[in-house]
Amino acid sequence: MSEKNNNNIVFPIGPQHPSLDEPSCFNITLEGEKVINAVIGVGYNHRGLEKTCESKTYIQDLYIIERVCGICSHAHSTAFCMAIEELTGVSIPKRAEYIRVIVAELERLHSHLLWLGVACHEIGFDTMFMYTWRNREKVLDILASVGGNRVNYGVNTIGGVRRDLDESINADILKTMDALEEEIKYYADVATTETTLISRLKGIGRLSHEDVIKFGAVGPVARAAGVEDDIRVTEPYGAYKEIPVHIVTDTNADVYGRTVVRIFEMQESINIIRFCINNLPDGPLTVRTPRRVPAGEVIARVEAPRGEDIHYIRSNGTDIPDRVRVRAPTEANWHGVKHMLEGGYLADVPITIAAIDPCYSCTDRATIVKSESGIRDMDWRAMRQYGIDWYKKQGIDLTVFKR
Amino acid sequence: MSLIKKAIDWGTGKSPWIIHFNAGACNGCDIETIDALTPRYDLERVGIIKQGSPRHADVLVCTGAVTLQTRERLIQIYDQMSEPKFVIAVGTCACTGGIFEDCYCVTGGVDTVVPVDVYIPGCAVRPEAIISAVDKLLENLKKGKKEGTQNA
Amino acid sequence: MHEEEIIESLCNKFPFLNCRIYLQKEKRIITKPLLREEFEEVIRFAHDELGFYRASHVVGTDDGENLGLLYILSDHENILLALRESVPKTNPVIKSVSDMYLSIILHERELVDLFGVIVEGLPEGPHYPLPDGWPKGSYPMRKEWDPRYFNKDTMTYEGPQEEKQSE
Repeated sequence: MSEKNNNNIVFPIGPQHPSLDEPSCFNITLEGEKVINAVIGVGYNHRGLEKTCESKTYIQDLYIIERVCGICSHAHSTAFCMAIEELTGVSIPKRAEYIRVIVAELERLHSHLLWLGVACHEIGFDTMFMYTWRNREKVLDILASVGGNRVNYGVNTIGGVRRDLDESINADILKTMDALEEEIKYYADVATTETTLISRLKGIGRLSHEDVIKFGAVGPVARAAGVEDDIRVTEPYGAYKEIPVHIVTDTNADVYGRTVVRIFEMQESINIIRFCINNLPDGPLTVRTPRRVPAGEVIARVEAPRGEDIHYIRSNGTDIPDRVRVRAPTEANWHGVKHMLEGGYLADVPITIAAIDPCYSCTDRATIVKSESGIRDMDWRAMRQYGIDWYKKQGIDLTVFKR
Repeated sequence: MSLIKKAIDWGTGKSPWIIHFNAGACNGCDIETIDALTPRYDLERVGIIKQGSPRHADVLVCTGAVTLQTRERLIQIYDQMSEPKFVIAVGTCACTGGIFEDCYCVTGGVDTVVPVDVYIPGCAVRPEAIISAVDKLLENLKKGKKEGTQNA
Repeated sequence: MHEEEIIESLCNKFPFLNCRIYLQKEKRIITKPLLREEFEEVIRFAHDELGFYRASHVVGTDDGENLGLLYILSDHENILLALRESVPKTNPVIKSVSDMYLSIILHERELVDLFGVIVEGLPEGPHYPLPDGWPKGSYPMRKEWDPRYFNKDTMTYEGPQEEKQSE
């Protein structure tokens, strides 16, 4: 794996590092400044929850599945509920479908804002990190008023939703969307015109159209390379069958492209939420579903903020599932990361990894390779600072950029 | 010696530096912990800074049900911290293992691995609860107490 | 290609697929369990001729005496073709499809760790996702593996399964 050459350095990073707050291990082999090999280790978050799901009822499993990931919890619970509803043959009320979409798009907003903040933090643009996370609070307030909790909102139940929207919440949502739209215009402006940011992000972490196909990448990573892959459009589910959704793509196929895609997707989410609020049908919130789910198997797919999320459920006619399998979007995107890192500079490693928006708890499972050549200890914080200093020497300094 | 000890206690009590470790969490509590440092809650204004290295930190903020893989790493991080050090278990999973307690790859709460000073239950924990926990910890420090656990 | 065309094409090429492949609903084509040799021919045809360029996942299932491996493939129209391979638990040997689908490597490693499948042709690499020190021969996702008999402190499996093996 590593060259036995005195010029090459291999250093391990992780599993504790201050940047991503999730445990993972990276072994990067360097020749001078260039990365020639990267081994990515995930798996620290493997809890073995699928086995536990096989000994609990479906409704108990819903709460476990929701906590596969705290950032895309609604996407996971939606896919799970959709799968069971398909097995039991029930159609949930229209109002419930619309509420599911509203919460899903709010989740996409908060996830993309979170990502934007973290990505800017990686490149040294801490001002933007603080702005985006401050704006994110508005979205979390709405989610708290809809679901009762800022994270793991628990809106879904099998057969519909548990919480309703009323006039005052709807008015709050529309007001917040107006405020956020202004902020997003600013982010779009920065992303498309600010030369410092563009020169920092362009050409980094390239994954071309062909490579996306080869590595099976999903979500914004694929859309940044021009691949029109969005489950909300290619296989619409729930209320998405009635809502106009535009796939946001870019042709840059690099970290810059992923940034642009996520920013414009936030605008698209705002449009979808407005459509849903203005066209929210009346009616009940849930439909009764049988406790015992008929035998069968189902593959359900939703578009989580990070990409295609697949849930496979096999039932045996009882109220306890036979097999539950969650394939989160980050699992599909990991394979391309090695390709993205190799050939790049050490200074770009933090932002390249962050650009796929990795969710380790979704991936849930890393590999570690120990190298025989010399090991230089550098933790993630030091590596992030290294990247910021390296670019400062080239004249790209985002720390001076203020609103 | 006692002057140095007084200085250390004063520094720790006034502005503890924290290090954050995810021992197998779903990220819910992690993003709320970072939220506590962002403009709305802004723990930095009271002197709390998030550090990268365990050697620079006074308080270990640990989230997640401890998985078998992270068990040893958590012990290593705890050992690398210098005295006086404190551990806050953030979230129900970190307190007791939560809903993942009977999963085959989960050891349980953080206190199965390292001693915990403050437990904050919640799923996910609100930043207000984290601030309250840090406040209680500082109060205990001022009163010279290190043992004993407090619910936040 | 529409789902019906895909099924027709597969059945024409592989007569053994007749009555063993069905359209579950829009964009879902699923097969009944196929033997190893049958599966290998079908997946190569699906990749080379039918445009199923992406392997989203492989789900391992415990089917009693056999292990089921459901490979989920998708094409440019996002139609899912789920090919099910079945191997006996006593001899769970399969051939890796990583030469066609690079992204499947991690998922095949998961089958090795969690189900005890032997994957021939899998590129060298560390195991995933179980922790280091996990007892050999202990496959948690098999139905007979009972988590109550697993000692997390010593990382040993002390259940009836072990007693049977030591006899």
